Amino acid sequence: MNVVVTPAMVGQVILSGILSGALYALVALGLSLIFGVMRVINIAHGPLLMLGAYVTYFLHSQLGINPFLTVPLSMAALFVVGLALQRALVFRVVGAPELSSLLLTFGISIALVNLVQLAFTSNLRTVEYLTGSWIIGGLALSKPRFIAFLFAAGVTALAFAFLKFTRLGKAIRATSQSREVALVCGINVARIHLLTFGLASALAASGGALLAVIVAIQPEMGSVWTFKSFLVIVLGGAGNYPGALLGGLLLGLIEQLASLFLTTQLSEVVAYVLLVLVLLVRPTGLLGGRSA
Amino acid sequence: MTGARGAVLAVLALVAAALCVYPVFGTGYGIRATLQVFMWIALAGSWNLISGLTGYVSFGHVAFFGIGAYAGAILITTAGWSWPLAALAGGLAACVLALLIGYPCLRLKGPYFAIAMLGLNEVLRALVSYFEGLTGGGSGLSLPTLDASTPIYYVMGALAAAVTAMTYLIITSRFGLRLMTIREDEIAAEAMGIDTFRHKLGAFLLSAAGPGIAGALTARDQGYIEPISVFPLAVTVTMIVMVLFGGKGTVWGPVLGAVALFVIQEIVWARYPYVHPLLFGAIIVVVVLAMPRGVLGLLQLRYRLPRTI
Amino acid sequence: MRTLLGPLALAAGVVLLAGPADAQGPIRIGASLSLTGTYAEPGTYQSEGYKLCERDLNAKGGLLGRKVEMVVYDDQSQPATGVRLYEKLITEDKVDAVMGPYSSAISEAVANVTEKYKKVMVAPLAATTSIFKKGRKYAFMVISPAEVYLEGLVDIAAKRKLKTIAIINEDTLFPKASAQGTEELAKKAGLQVVFKEAYPKGNQDFSGLLIKLKAANPDVLAAATYFDDAVALARQMKELDVTPRMTAVTVGGDLPKFQELLKQTAEGIYGASQWEGALPYPGAKEFFDTYTKEFKHEPSYHSAAGYAGCILYAEGVKKAGSLEADRVRDALLALKTRTMFGDYQVDKDGFQVAHKMVLLQWQEGKRVVVWPDDLANGKPRFPR
Repeated sequence: MNVVVTPAMVGQVILSGILSGALYALVALGLSLIFGVMRVINIAHGPLLMLGAYVTYFLHSQLGINPFLTVPLSMAALFVVGLALQRALVFRVVGAPELSSLLLTFGISIALVNLVQLAFTSNLRTVEYLTGSWIIGGLALSKPRFIAFLFAAGVTALAFAFLKFTRLGKAIRATSQSREVALVCGINVARIHLLTFGLASALAASGGALLAVIVAIQPEMGSVWTFKSFLVIVLGGAGNYPGALLGGLLLGLIEQLASLFLTTQLSEVVAYVLLVLVLLVRPTGLLGGRSA
Repeated sequence: MTGARGAVLAVLALVAAALCVYPVFGTGYGIRATLQVFMWIALAGSWNLISGLTGYVSFGHVAFFGIGAYAGAILITTAGWSWPLAALAGGLAACVLALLIGYPCLRLKGPYFAIAMLGLNEVLRALVSYFEGLTGGGSGLSLPTLDASTPIYYVMGALAAAVTAMTYLIITSRFGLRLMTIREDEIAAEAMGIDTFRHKLGAFLLSAAGPGIAGALTARDQGYIEPISVFPLAVTVTMIVMVLFGGKGTVWGPVLGAVALFVIQEIVWARYPYVHPLLFGAIIVVVVLAMPRGVLGLLQLRYRLPRTI
Repeated sequence: MRTLLGPLALAAGVVLLAGPADAQGPIRIGASLSLTGTYAEPGTYQSEGYKLCERDLNAKGGLLGRKVEMVVYDDQSQPATGVRLYEKLITEDKVDAVMGPYSSAISEAVANVTEKYKKVMVAPLAATTSIFKKGRKYAFMVISPAEVYLEGLVDIAAKRKLKTIAIINEDTLFPKASAQGTEELAKKAGLQVVFKEAYPKGNQDFSGLLIKLKAANPDVLAAATYFDDAVALARQMKELDVTPRMTAVTVGGDLPKFQELLKQTAEGIYGASQWEGALPYPGAKEFFDTYTKEFKHEPSYHSAAGYAGCILYAEGVKKAGSLEADRVRDALLALKTRTMFGDYQVDKDGFQVAHKMVLLQWQEGKRVVVWPDDLANGKPRFPR
C-alpha cells in the first residue's frame, strides 16, 4: 500500500537515521580499532555489545541504578572481558592469516551467545526507563533514542580525544599505521593490542548499554550489529576512525530512507547492495582507509 | 603402496555396498538420518572447495543451499518438474548465484570477501520474502506429498560421493595446486602469473553446485520449506565446524568431520539441546588454536599420510 | 479339596488373564515441541499443558486401562527438525500415538509425516486453514484459525463507527493468514484499509513502517505479530507518537509477559486469545489454578490448547475403544463437546468450526475480556 511521502515524513526519517547512526558509529569504532591495530576481524563484536546490554539490565533491575549511569560501569566490565579474551585467545591469531582470526572470533561469538542463553535464558528483557517522545515542530523525537544519541556522541567524542591527545592514544594510532615502525619506536605493541581490544570491547559495551533502553534485550541481539558494524567500516574505510563516524551516520540514514521509500523487507537488501557496491567501486572506503 | 591402496579401495567398496543395501532394512528415521549425513558430507565437502583450498572463508554458503531449495521447489510445484530434474536445476541456480556474487566479491581480498558473504543469506531471505508471488514468501512453499525418502537417499549419497571425488580430482590436479597457492600467498601467486580471480571464481562455482542440489533434494524430502528454515546461519556454522574439525583442504576431512559431528550432534543435542552452540563454538576455538589443520591434518603430519587424503 | 480345585483353578485363571492387562505397558504419546529457538516461549507453555494432561489422565486411571506416557523432543523451532523427530518417534521409538507441535509452520511440515504413517495427530497449536484443507485425513484442529484472530477488533471497530484500518504483519505463515483474514473481515464490515505492509521475521526496527502508517492516520491498527515484534512495535509506536484509536496484536498481546516487559506502554492494547482462565468453560478455573500451582506461573492459551488437545485425543480414543487410527479418526470427526478450552467440533477435513476466539484489552495492568459479549467480563476502553 503506498502512502504519499511528505517532507515531514522525510524529516522524521532523517531524524531517526541520525539517532541510530550515532550508535552505529560508536559500535563500529571499536571494530575499526581492532581491525586497524591488529588486523583481526572480530566477529564477536556483536556478542560483546550484547553483554554490555545485559550488564546494564542487571545493574538497573537489581540495584536500581539509572540505566544511563550504568554506561561507564558496563564499559569497565567489558573492558576487562575484552582484555581477558585478548590475553587468552585472540593474541594467538594476531598476525596470522585473517581466516584464523575470523574463525576464532566466530567460534567465540557463538559460544558467548550460548553461554548467555544458558545463564539468563532467551527470554526478552526490557529496561523500561524512558518511553515516548517529545513533539518538536511536528516531529516526534524519541526520548530514549535522543538521550542515547547524546551519550553515544559523548562517548565517541571522548574516544577520539583519547586517540588524538593522549600518549596511549597516539601509540594506538601509531601501531595502527605500522606495527613494525611502532615497535622500533619503542612502543610495547603487545600491550597496545591488549589495550585496544579492551577499549573496543568497552565501546561495544557502551553501545549495548545504550541500546538496552531502546530495544528488547536477548542473547541474539548482537549478531545483526556485527554485520552492520562491518558495513560501517566498509563505508568509512577500515582503520579510518573518523570514517567510522561518517559510515555510521550514512548507514543510519540510508536504512531509514530505504524503509520509508521502499518497504521494511527491502531495506536490508539495500544496505547489503550498498556494501557490495562500495567494495567494488572503492574498497578502501569512502574516506579512504587501508586496503586489505 | 599399491597394497595399501588396494586395501583402501576395498574398504571403500565395502562401505559403499553396505550403504546401498541399508534402505532395505533401515527404519524410516534411519534412512532419513543417513540421508542427512550424506547431505552434510556434500555441504562440508563443497565448503571445503572454496574455503579449505583457497582460504577464502565463505560465511554465507547456506545461501546456495537455500536458493537450490527454492529453485527446486518452485519448479516442482509450479512447473511440474520431476524432482531429479528439479535438483539439477537447483544446482544450476546456485551456480548462477555464485557467478553473480563471486564476480564482484572475489576481486576483493580475503577479509572483505568474508564480510560480503556474511550478510548474503539474510539478503536472500529478504528477497525470497519479497518475491512472494513466486516463492510463497513467509508462508513457505508446500510440495505435493510424495514419499521419496529412499530414492532421495541414493541420490544424496551419489552427491556426497561426487563431491568427495571431485575434491580428490581437484587436489591432485594443477588447478587444485594453484588454488592452494592462492591460499598460501595470493600476492606471490599473482606474481607467478596465476589468474587468481578466475581460479577463485571457478572454485566458488564448483562449491555452489553441491549445496544447490542438496537444497533441492532436501526441499523435496521435507515437503515444506520457508525462508528461515532454508537460509539459517546454523547450517553455515555446522558446515564450517565439520570441515575445520575433519581437516580443511583435505579430501576426507569433510567426510570425517560430517560423520563425526553429526553423531556428536545427535547424541549431545538429544540430551543437552541447550549447550549445542556452545559446544560448536568451543570446537571451533580449539581447532583454530590447537589443530588448525583438523584431525586429518594432524594425522597427516604424524603418520606422513599422503597429501591426497 | 478336589471340589475346591476347580473353582481355584478358575479363579487363578481369571486373575492370570485379568492381571497382566497392564503388562502391555504404558501408552506412549510422542511429540516434538519448540523448547528452544524463536518459539521457545509459547512452545514451553504448550509442553507444560501436555505434562499436566499426562498427569491428569493418569490420575484418573489412564487411557484404556493403561498409563499414559508423553515422549517429548525439542525441535528447536525448526520445521525440518520436527519432521525428523516425528519420523524418529514413529519409526524408531514406535510410539503409540502422536500429538502436534507448536506453530502452524511446524505442524504443516510434520503433518506430511503423520499422514504418511497414518497416525492421528491432534495439532493443538496449528491455526492456519491451509494445513487442514489439503485433503489430509488424520490431522485435527483445536483452535480457531488465524483468519479470525482479530474478528473481535473489527467487530468492535465497526460498532463504534470507526472508519479506517491499517494492517501489518510479520512475513511468516500464521501472521500472513491472519492479516489476510482480518482484511477480508474489515472490508465486509465497511472499514477502509488505508495501509498494509509486511515486515521480515526478526525485524526490530519499525520506524520507516510506522512513519508511513502515521501518515495514513488509521483509526485502527491490526498487527499480526508474534511476541518479540509485538513488544518492539508497541515501544516504537510510543516513540514515534503513533496513536490509533485501537491497536491490536495477535500472538503476544495475551501473554502475561507482554505487560511485564512493557508496563505502562501495554495499556490499552488489544490482544487476541484462544482462551482465558476467567472464561465460563467447565473446568477452566480448576485448570488455571492447578497449572499455576504446578508450574509457578499462569498458563497462557498455548498451555490450555495443549492440555485440551491431549484431552480431546484421549476422548477420541475412549470413544473408539482402541488406538487404531481409523477408529480414533472417526470418533474425533463425530465428537462434539465443550472442554475447559471451549467448544470442539470439526468439519470433514478436521478443520475446527466451533471454537471461539476472544479479544482482550490491557486495562490497568490486567487482561480484560472485551469480546464476544457472551464471554466478556469488561468493556473496551477508548483512551482517545
